[in-house]
Amino acid sequence: MASEERTKQILEELHDAVVKFDEDKAVEWAKITVDEGVDPFLASLEGLAEGMIEVSELYNKKEYFVPELLMCADALYAGLDILKPAIKATGRKSEVKGSVVLGVVEGDVHDIGKNLVKVMFEVAGWDVYDLGKDVPIDKFVEEQIRTNSDVVGISALMTTSMLAMPELVKKLRAKNPNVRIMLGGAPLNPELAGQYGADGYAKDAGSAVDEAIRLIKMLKKEELGR
Amino acid sequence: MEVKRPWQGKMTAVERISSLLSGKPIDRVPLSLFDMSCGMGWFCARNVGYPIDSIFNDPEKSFWAQLWTQEQYGYDGSPVFGDASYGGWEFGGEIKYPETQKEQAPCVSRYPVESKEDIDRLELHDVRTAGMLPLAMQFSKMQEQFGVPITFPCGGPFTYAGNIVSMDRLCRWMIKEPALVHRLLRLCTDHILQVAQHWVDTFESERIVARDILSLEDNRIISPQQFEEFAFPYFKEVHEKVLGIGVKRFNTHICGEQNSNLPHLAQIPMGDPGIVSFGHEISLTTAIGYFGDKCVIAGNIDPVVIQTGTAQQVYELSKRCIEEAKYAPRGYILTAGCDVPPLTPPYNIYIMMKAINDFGWYNS
Repeated sequence: MASEERTKQILEELHDAVVKFDEDKAVEWAKITVDEGVDPFLASLEGLAEGMIEVSELYNKKEYFVPELLMCADALYAGLDILKPAIKATGRKSEVKGSVVLGVVEGDVHDIGKNLVKVMFEVAGWDVYDLGKDVPIDKFVEEQIRTNSDVVGISALMTTSMLAMPELVKKLRAKNPNVRIMLGGAPLNPELAGQYGADGYAKDAGSAVDEAIRLIKMLKKEELGR
Repeated sequence: MEVKRPWQGKMTAVERISSLLSGKPIDRVPLSLFDMSCGMGWFCARNVGYPIDSIFNDPEKSFWAQLWTQEQYGYDGSPVFGDASYGGWEFGGEIKYPETQKEQAPCVSRYPVESKEDIDRLELHDVRTAGMLPLAMQFSKMQEQFGVPITFPCGGPFTYAGNIVSMDRLCRWMIKEPALVHRLLRLCTDHILQVAQHWVDTFESERIVARDILSLEDNRIISPQQFEEFAFPYFKEVHEKVLGIGVKRFNTHICGEQNSNLPHLAQIPMGDPGIVSFGHEISLTTAIGYFGDKCVIAGNIDPVVIQTGTAQQVYELSKRCIEEAKYAPRGYILTAGCDVPPLTPPYNIYIMMKAINDFGWYNS
């Protein structure tokens, strides 16, 4: 079992691997995590996810852009692919209901923002039901019912496709009044998202990561007893 | 209460734009809604009862839908043809036309390039038959026949590259495989130059306007440094060479947040004058500062407001734009900041004309 100091080093290396979008390093240190008996769930949150939090800050400071975000997400996934079987083997599950339906609304095929949000939920150990792009309204509703997810994240980049959102929000709430709905995409703004009945809003890829991080920080506090 | 329609002025739409571009006095600020043609074209198709996809795959219907809608509302400019997914089909992929009112424009349904190896196999297709170009040529012949500017799709190369390989693949390759991206951009540039030559060989070059869109160059997507390395050199080359073969000017749309790209973009020749349109993310004052001495400035009402705002909000925004840019050195055209959404309330189209009537005259 790794010492506290060694655990700290491993977490820092995982964090750096994500920030420097080094897939090979992420895989290497994820394997070390497993080999040395470090808590894989801790490694995913305190190593990989922390790295992505810094990446989001770099995007907000205009030091990183979408190419870097995507590469960092690739490194994160490379590490997470190694950790996931180990996490599953611990039998550890999120005590907060952690499942989310994600998709790009019907008529729209721009999915980079949605895919970056997906990264954050996956690294936190949530069950993610990714419907992809150009998703019919009823498909969102069906999937939310089928999975009983607490959160539905809906994205749109086109001014035309965002017009489907009020109807979708209404249908989701009609089936489940307590469902939390997050809207994302450049043509939206907080006022419109509020008018459409949503609980959360993200403007672009970087902001979407921020919004997801806000939810994950809440989750971390509950999971790690802080 | 008296209900009156705005006075149309003494010039026709074509005369107004022509005089503006010649540096002659005009009666009022023009309003043009043709700059993008995807969503507005779709609006026009619905307006006259044509199928949605006809704007993109039926040059004759597209031309008339745009012209009749222009006649109905009284705005300026002239019909154009094309969409922002150019490149995917032209290099061997497939596109999907909009079928429902939830879809705004054609989108690439199968990219020509899905792996690094595909780049090696990528080749230039005959510009007489590639993708939408035969349709664009048919449309240009109607433009010639009706005495309006003859337009053709002329880039930008970086945006076309995104339509060939997909945006997320392009973004990753910019970091992992920069040489590959440069090879792709070289192909895009060569293709654009062949298209330009084809139009110059077919029509009187004085009447040709090259249209290009820079959308993936948005600084919310790529950095100014990535713009400088990957987008700028090829964009510059296209403009220099296309103007060099006799095309008189460019009508360039700088889409989204590109404030950090402006110092580079301002170095690029646009014609004398060119026309450069901007989204609401770039202020008209800033645009005039960079381009106003060489180009007609166009922009920049937020399309979201046009679609979801009240008529009063659209009116106020239009007023603000007119007052800010009316006296730009080479002239100003009021436009939407990007594609006019197809489900825009018709009255919001009219209200922009009303704002022109109330604030846009040069000799009151």
